[in-house]
Amino acid sequence: MASPGVVELSRWQFAITAIFHMTFPALTVGLSVLLAVVYTVYVRTGNPLYLQIFRFWKKIFAVGFGLGVVAGTVMTFEFGLNWGVYAHAVGPVIGVTIGMEVITAFFLEAGFIGLMLYGDGRIRPRTMALASWMVAFGTLLSTTWILSANSWMQDPVGYQKVAGQFHAKDWMSILFNPAFAHRFPHMLLAVLISSAWFVGGISAWYLVKKRSSAQPMARRCLSIALGVLGVLMPLQLYVGDGTAVFMGQHQLPKLEAFEGNWRSDNNGYNLLVVPDADKGENRLHVEIPHLGSVIAQDLSGRTTTPGLLQTPPDERPNMWTTFYGFRAMYFTALLMFGTAFAGVVLRLRRRLYDSPRFLRWMVWMTPAGIIAITGGWIVAETGRQPWVVYGQLRTADAVSHLSTPEVAATLAGFVLLYVTLLAIWARYIVRTVKAGPEALTGPASTDVPEALVA
Amino acid sequence: MLEYAAYALVLFSLAMYVVLDGYDLGVGMLSLAARPERRREYGEIVATAWDANESWLILVGVVLWAGLPGAYAVVLPAVYLPLIVMLAAVILRGLALEMHSAAGRYRRGWALLFGGASLAATVCQGLVLGAVLTGPRQRGGAFHGGAFDWFSLYGVLCAAGLVVVYLLAGAAWLQDKTEGWSRSEVRRTGRTLLLATAAMALVLGLMLPGADPQQFQLGQPVRAVLFWLAVGVAAVAGAVAWHGFGRGPDWRPFAAVATMTASGLLGLAALSLPVVVPPGLSVHQVASPHSSQLFLVLGVGLCMPFVLAYNIYAWRSFRGKYSDPVESPVPPLPARGRALPDAPAATGAARTIVRRVLLTVLGVLATGLSQDVFGGASDLIGPIGVTVLGCAALAAWIAGDRRDGRAGYFDADTGAETTS
Repeated sequence: MASPGVVELSRWQFAITAIFHMTFPALTVGLSVLLAVVYTVYVRTGNPLYLQIFRFWKKIFAVGFGLGVVAGTVMTFEFGLNWGVYAHAVGPVIGVTIGMEVITAFFLEAGFIGLMLYGDGRIRPRTMALASWMVAFGTLLSTTWILSANSWMQDPVGYQKVAGQFHAKDWMSILFNPAFAHRFPHMLLAVLISSAWFVGGISAWYLVKKRSSAQPMARRCLSIALGVLGVLMPLQLYVGDGTAVFMGQHQLPKLEAFEGNWRSDNNGYNLLVVPDADKGENRLHVEIPHLGSVIAQDLSGRTTTPGLLQTPPDERPNMWTTFYGFRAMYFTALLMFGTAFAGVVLRLRRRLYDSPRFLRWMVWMTPAGIIAITGGWIVAETGRQPWVVYGQLRTADAVSHLSTPEVAATLAGFVLLYVTLLAIWARYIVRTVKAGPEALTGPASTDVPEALVA
Repeated sequence: MLEYAAYALVLFSLAMYVVLDGYDLGVGMLSLAARPERRREYGEIVATAWDANESWLILVGVVLWAGLPGAYAVVLPAVYLPLIVMLAAVILRGLALEMHSAAGRYRRGWALLFGGASLAATVCQGLVLGAVLTGPRQRGGAFHGGAFDWFSLYGVLCAAGLVVVYLLAGAAWLQDKTEGWSRSEVRRTGRTLLLATAAMALVLGLMLPGADPQQFQLGQPVRAVLFWLAVGVAAVAGAVAWHGFGRGPDWRPFAAVATMTASGLLGLAALSLPVVVPPGLSVHQVASPHSSQLFLVLGVGLCMPFVLAYNIYAWRSFRGKYSDPVESPVPPLPARGRALPDAPAATGAARTIVRRVLLTVLGVLATGLSQDVFGGASDLIGPIGVTVLGCAALAAWIAGDRRDGRAGYFDADTGAETTS
């Protein structure tokens, strides 16, 4: 039995490394799709605008992808480093799933990324387009496998426990577990949406600054980003709602914690709570009366939301992280929905590229998707506690035999390293954006360039 | 039998990793000794391939986890500190490479970080190897030792040995990839490293029976044949590398060094099988259950040919001597024929307010509809509502894009400066 200190520090270490890692795929999955699309359009139409867009976003994508890869390497080993007991118990299930992720998706990305980033001028344009699609396909496939593995931990099925180890009985039900059906589309939409905000925000910045050389690119990218968002945001709210309902049925304590109630008699919707876990009540809460009942699709305002006191004390998740993680995700989602809605309206009113207030707001929305994704994962992971495999394996029993100073030292090291890395990454993005897209050579031609391929 | 297939997968990925990332870590370490003007080139040589090379390390980790979870759970906590430092070094190395490559010119800080992190990663990998060979303390299938168990004389020697092997691979790779080294320079460096490698292999090999707590059974004929065969192949490959350094064809030294490394690894495996974690954990004890083995071996095994195929394809695309890529500049955009249309005229204040109120109500309704708030009335409201909203947004996007394209929003401004 490991000391509580090692468990806590290991949890922090995993949380920090996972959140850090997550910020990169949150951008690169969507960017890889954008890059593949614009390069294909360039190859088909020969319009140099799309080459300019490709080269510009490629610069940000390259560094983000590289950092995502190395941060992901850490995750692969952390399962065994800090969570040796967990690794031994779930290796036959999760290890295999992640193994398939590496061999089918990770290698695909890594094998083609070199061609995509350094192939310009060395390989044919059509091969470049193929490489871009392979990278995009790899990132999407990777999301699929990872969500399958994580969803199995949320709602384990299809296994048989033999001497504390999970043995796979039915691979189809393990891979396509019930939680996966909700959480995968939710996450897939989330990564596409978060990169769309990133692209849209930076494009809006060029329009706000009226940078003349970047105007066509900025308009084109803003139009794409808001187009994608207009379509995906309603879908995402619908899928997200379905996910929350599903999780409420399968992990009731998570729902009790993220709605912020202790007793089960509240029909209001909590905006703010200051929970006191020892007393089992909120020291302070701000609510909108009756609104909570729409969670249960009851518009009369009478249905109450279940509270955390229903759950035995040793099976309660932390309300702080779960509640505020959920609020961060949900409130950001409402802002994103409203902004995307405004984008559709402005497009219809032909004011999309010259509404200064809207464009300035878009710049602020640049990190919105990443914030929502981070909040969502905090809900998913801390809301599952104290279990690491829900209902089956407690986090406290899953940790390796390590000494507290050892874990504390590496945790401090990771924090230091990752803060530095984030600062360098942010500075790199700012500099790249300020430098702007590659200049277009020569005087503007009036004739449409011929397509590279028929 | 299936657990041997899983073990073979681990061994294969490990060999691929040591050969492939070995050369790029070696190039990294060699860049420390190179003249500043060469350092950037070394980084660029690695930049096109490091993602793919490092994937093999990840594969080693997960196949070990999925196929031999018992070994994964014992070994990783045992080498906690060196492995974490190794991962940190790998992170810094990736950062330095990408930032240096993106900077577009030589930057001393990134170049030194790339080289230093390569060295740190190699040393840590050597310490991990040493710790595994000297046998982590374990009880009941879980690690049970102290935080600094990995530190031993043998571990330090392993680290030195691995540094030399990677440097050798790096030098061989550079002969294949650059014009910059003169023949005599390559020959001198390569042969010195080769001698050092041979010396380290001898020292580590002779000390192994003392350091490793397991009983080696070289008395068994099959084992002895495999082991001495591997040693023989390594020796022959070493001789080929000795001959090939500083002499064409330029790919020969690297091929020889790769063969040498791989056969060394096979020799070690032949010596210790079925023991995976010394002294006593055998492949049978640490293997995952049959259902997982089957899925893993079939899944990974069937994908492997494709993985190898496109890796070879990518490698072939960059074959030959490294040269700075020539990106053709972006050609000019088509210019817009006429001025952009004027923005629609502003409407009166009253109309604006009414419009905004209506739009806000519409927006709140759309938000509620998307979240299936009205789903209590009918199950169909949610899906139909979302479909309608999505299709409306898609139609607005397509129509707006076509309109803006025709109006020339995506073309270069006429008369405006187009160069920057």
